[in-house]
Amino acid sequence: MPKQGQSVESCIVTEFKKKVGDKVAVGDILFSYETDKASFDEESKVEGTVLACFFNDNDEIPCLTNVMVIGEPGESFAEFAPDAGAAARETAPSEVSSQAGISRPAGAGLRDSEVVEPERPQGVWGRPSPQFEGGVERSETVAGGIVPQAAPAGISPRAKHLAAEKGVDPNQIAGSGPGGRVIERDVIAAAASPRSGLAKAMMAQGGLQAPASGTGLAGMVKGGDLKTWKPSHTDIAGEGSEFTVEKMSNMRKLIAKSMYNSLQNSAQLTHMLGADARKIQALRKKAKKAFEEGKIDANVTINDFVCYAVIRALQKFPKVNSHCLGDAMRLFNTVNLGCAVDTERGLMVPCVKHAEDLNITGLSKALKQVADDCRKGSINPDLLSAEAASFTVSNLGGFGVEWFTPVINLPQSAILGVGTIVARPKDLGGGVYAFVPYLGLSLTYDHRALDGGEATRFLKQVATEIENLDIQF
Amino acid sequence: MPKALYIDPEVTLRPQEHELKLPTIPVMKYNKTIKAELKDGRFTKEDLLRIYRDMSYIREFETMLNLVKTTGGYNGVPYNNPGPAHLSAGQEAASVGMAYALDTDDFIFGSHRSHGEILAKGLRSIQILPEKELKKVMEEFWDGATLNVAKKAYKGKDTKELGIRFLLYGAMAEIFARTTGFNKGLGGSMHTFFTPFGIYPNNAIVGGSGSIAVGAALYKKVNRKKGIVVANLGDGAMARGPVLEGMTFASMDQFNTLWEGDMKGGLPVLFNVMDNQYAMGGQTKGETMGYTFPARLGAGFKADAMAAERVDGYNPLAVIDAFYRKKAYLLEKKGPALLDVVTYRYSGHSPSDQSSYRTKEEIEAWEKEDCIVAFGKKLIKAGVADQAALDAIRAEVNANIFECYKLAIDEELSPRMDLVKQDELLGEMMFSNQSIDSLSDAKPDVLMPLEDNPRVKQIKGKERFWLDKDGKPVSSMKSYNFRDGVFEAIVDRFYKDASLIAYGEENREWGGAFAVYRGLTEALPYHRLFNSPIAEAAIIGTAIGYAMCGGRVIPEIMYCDFLGCCGDEIFNQLPKWQAMSGNILKMPVVVRVSVGSKYGAQHSQDWTSLCTHIPGLKVCFPVTPYDAKGLMNAALQGTDPVIFFESQRLYGIGEKFHEGGVPEGYYEIPIGEPDIKRAGKDITILTIGATLYRALEAADTLKEKYGMEAEVIDARSLVPFNYDKVIESVKKTGRIIIAGDACARGSYLNDLAANISEMAFDYLDAAPVVLGSRNWITPCHELEEAFFPQPSWFLDAINEKIVPLKDYVPTSNQTVAQMRLHARKGI
Repeated sequence: MPKQGQSVESCIVTEFKKKVGDKVAVGDILFSYETDKASFDEESKVEGTVLACFFNDNDEIPCLTNVMVIGEPGESFAEFAPDAGAAARETAPSEVSSQAGISRPAGAGLRDSEVVEPERPQGVWGRPSPQFEGGVERSETVAGGIVPQAAPAGISPRAKHLAAEKGVDPNQIAGSGPGGRVIERDVIAAAASPRSGLAKAMMAQGGLQAPASGTGLAGMVKGGDLKTWKPSHTDIAGEGSEFTVEKMSNMRKLIAKSMYNSLQNSAQLTHMLGADARKIQALRKKAKKAFEEGKIDANVTINDFVCYAVIRALQKFPKVNSHCLGDAMRLFNTVNLGCAVDTERGLMVPCVKHAEDLNITGLSKALKQVADDCRKGSINPDLLSAEAASFTVSNLGGFGVEWFTPVINLPQSAILGVGTIVARPKDLGGGVYAFVPYLGLSLTYDHRALDGGEATRFLKQVATEIENLDIQF
Repeated sequence: MPKALYIDPEVTLRPQEHELKLPTIPVMKYNKTIKAELKDGRFTKEDLLRIYRDMSYIREFETMLNLVKTTGGYNGVPYNNPGPAHLSAGQEAASVGMAYALDTDDFIFGSHRSHGEILAKGLRSIQILPEKELKKVMEEFWDGATLNVAKKAYKGKDTKELGIRFLLYGAMAEIFARTTGFNKGLGGSMHTFFTPFGIYPNNAIVGGSGSIAVGAALYKKVNRKKGIVVANLGDGAMARGPVLEGMTFASMDQFNTLWEGDMKGGLPVLFNVMDNQYAMGGQTKGETMGYTFPARLGAGFKADAMAAERVDGYNPLAVIDAFYRKKAYLLEKKGPALLDVVTYRYSGHSPSDQSSYRTKEEIEAWEKEDCIVAFGKKLIKAGVADQAALDAIRAEVNANIFECYKLAIDEELSPRMDLVKQDELLGEMMFSNQSIDSLSDAKPDVLMPLEDNPRVKQIKGKERFWLDKDGKPVSSMKSYNFRDGVFEAIVDRFYKDASLIAYGEENREWGGAFAVYRGLTEALPYHRLFNSPIAEAAIIGTAIGYAMCGGRVIPEIMYCDFLGCCGDEIFNQLPKWQAMSGNILKMPVVVRVSVGSKYGAQHSQDWTSLCTHIPGLKVCFPVTPYDAKGLMNAALQGTDPVIFFESQRLYGIGEKFHEGGVPEGYYEIPIGEPDIKRAGKDITILTIGATLYRALEAADTLKEKYGMEAEVIDARSLVPFNYDKVIESVKKTGRIIIAGDACARGSYLNDLAANISEMAFDYLDAAPVVLGSRNWITPCHELEEAFFPQPSWFLDAINEKIVPLKDYVPTSNQTVAQMRLHARKGI
């Protein structure tokens, strides 16, 4: 019984077209059978007489099981019965096995009573499936029962990689390698399977993956067959007058991969809250003056004060200062603060280790140092790893952005987006309303790690810290 | 088979003498008294007291080790020494007597029981070396590291006294595996030596020095160096092949019949048997041997019975007397010589040996004869010293040993190598990796200008590529072939390096069994190229001795299958001495090994894998004339042992790959670099040896019938091996077959396959497939196709295990099921 695709375990014979005693010629239909999706006819590949048929119409037959025996009248056939292996083990000494082993590869050696070998899906070169798989298993079974059943056909490491790269689902590919193993050429063929216009257009959008063969005619992949997988490569050939194609830099690819993975592999949502910025604006003025007068050696920015406040808040919310590992949490007892930096080459997120040990000028200098290192390209790569930071701050305030939804740098549990300062009306009490500067805070958190209540309390704490910062210069 | 020696049927069939007369061998003839010796003026009183002192040093040294081993300390200072200690207490007179007659230029080689010999030779060298020279030796050794610690045991100004501390400390530190030891602690008890004092390696393999020492003597002779060589062996070693082969080699007639000029005459080597009566627990006389005395062996090897004598090893003066006479005999070029020195071993084979095979009475009876006590009594009787003076000597000796002991076990002053922190340290000592044109300052002895050599002239007329200008194959007579490539590299080095010699079973007139050396006979005198006896252990053993003394040598093993005959030399000696010496010794030995075919089960085996398994050997197997010449040049330029395999299938093959043919000038191919012989993109085939050509045939079929382009890589070298090209290729093709003519099981092919799997796992489209020979005897030539990998096997294996080929009908069974079946049967 042929195996129609990797996932098909058995087929139902709808009708036997030949019965025991019938003469068959090459190309005669022996039986029709179907899977849950399609129906097929099995043609005879040899000439002879049907000596045995082990099943009846409508039987469900496991794939790669002998169905019929064709040979010359008078020849024995019992040994080909699906359960003959056990019997042969008892009766046949090991000589049988070596004989089977030797005659097997010759192919023609079995001519005197040829087994209907299952035909496998066509490979790249339209070659039939590996001829000897059945033989191997038989010989092994007889030889001493080492492998009672067909070993699961795997996928070669090379094919696996290529499948990921080409956006092909390897589970949908019928392997043409030894023992049905999916090998490189199968992936190449699958990636080249025909696709409908809609499917092509959808694929061009990225993020979708085509199966080895689709549900359309001749395995045409239709739009509905596409499934989300990993970022696929679109066709970069065919540059035209309307557009140019520019290959992504490695850096761009890295960013793309980690951002995409972040959104695919976590449950992200964003809370937004404003913080009264009067205090830190005043502090910023004092700091600027102190810096100009040479009292301190760092030009402390608004962002530095925000980070300083965030560190204090994180110390009160250890669950936020964490990594979400799927089935476990990594809770930090130090604050390794990641800080998003915009560079010519793209987004980089260096980290300042043990940030809670730094005073405001120390923190300011450390943040400036890592940012400068990123822009110069001299940053220690260890500090760029998402694993290095326990929490990240991304500041777009300088560009006038009020609110945004930052993307978490996995496996971190949360990220704080800092927006610009905008004047908003505030009830100062006693019927007095005034315009007060507000700083936009956007906390994106992984709902797998944190619930909304805790996230909100943390965000509120950040605001409280910002509103109550007390630093002397 | 020199034509100069006529085998005359007249004298062979009808000899004049009808008896083979063996010379008589003297036994224990020395009977002079000390008074008589003093009268004759051979010794001064000081000399005699120094003999007493030196014996005392050995006794106390061995006593110290015995106490450490058996009581866990010495003089109340605890120490645990887990290593071996084969002690020589009882044998002091034999050792000191041996060393007394020797100069620093005279070399000694030893056994596992050689502490006494090292100390005796060291003490003697310290005594006779000029102070300035001694000082220089000590200061330069390990940049003074050993001396700096030894100095702590002596505050005085006497260089020779300091030298004694240096010797005692250096030997102890070595035995205790300290970096300040004579061999950085890498040799240990059984391999402690110190070449500046003429002390060459001792050997933990019984009889191992029996052929190595002969090679050292060969070095002295060929390179016109002063001195003789003493092989100190035990009576048990007389049963060992290397000793008997070494004696055979050393006794060759050709030294007198064929070697010419100042080279005429025997080898300056003395086989000195320390007959301590025991071989392990076996008793040589009366039990395990049948020679009565070891001295009898001399009669088996040489007409004058190697001037063998059995002497009293319990009297140092008797030994000295014999050594003076044997040394003179050797310097008259009459060697080799044999001495059988009667002695007795008080301790067991090792401290764990309870001496259950001998009686207490026997040991006590020998102790009554103790050589030190007896000599002391004689000194008193002769009025040389009184008991108090002798006691003072013993006291001073014991104190010095104790001082050095404390230094040698001090973890800070005498640290061990830290192979955890410096985990590459020992690895970097396995090879010396030097590049040296010539190991000798002398002008090479040659018989004619190179350009006049008939072979050189003949090669000049040959095409150096297999196709001529018009792209037609050149006839085999006119084609520069593999043997020409090997020849060119070797003859070039013979004219560059006076120390280079070559020998093996037929290396001269015949031109080697496979005609590689044709033309060398005309170019070289006998002492640089000669026929050896059929004695592989001696061929390799002597080469080791020759190289460790500083010469370059090409020994030849005619068939790879004979490697087993020199198993110990190839596997235990050749690869190990560089690292075991702490990199003091170099080992520039290029062993040419011819891999056979057509000659059945004992002449057609590829044993390259055995050599790759042993750390310390470089292994290469070129299969093209270009590679042969380049790799031979590299091997001969280096200072490491190289096993250089050549295939008998290919001696006549022309150069098919290197564009422009084999260059006439000198070039090297670094050992360890595989070579892409044909580029391809669909599958990689990595071959070892002559299998390359069958792989190329398979590649042709793959391309013609299946449209697959194979990339064929020739390993060329096996150790070292740079995987870069192979991994790059596998990254490209995703598939690889590793093939060679070795029997597949346990072969280096599997090693390559396993490593490639690890290094390129993610790139593989199938597991690397190994194609080796069947695990059978090699059948006769007519049946070889069923045994060695054939071109069709490659396709069968590809179809079965890598990528099924369209409409393919296999010819051999390369299935996994078959592999398992074979493995289960052990075939």
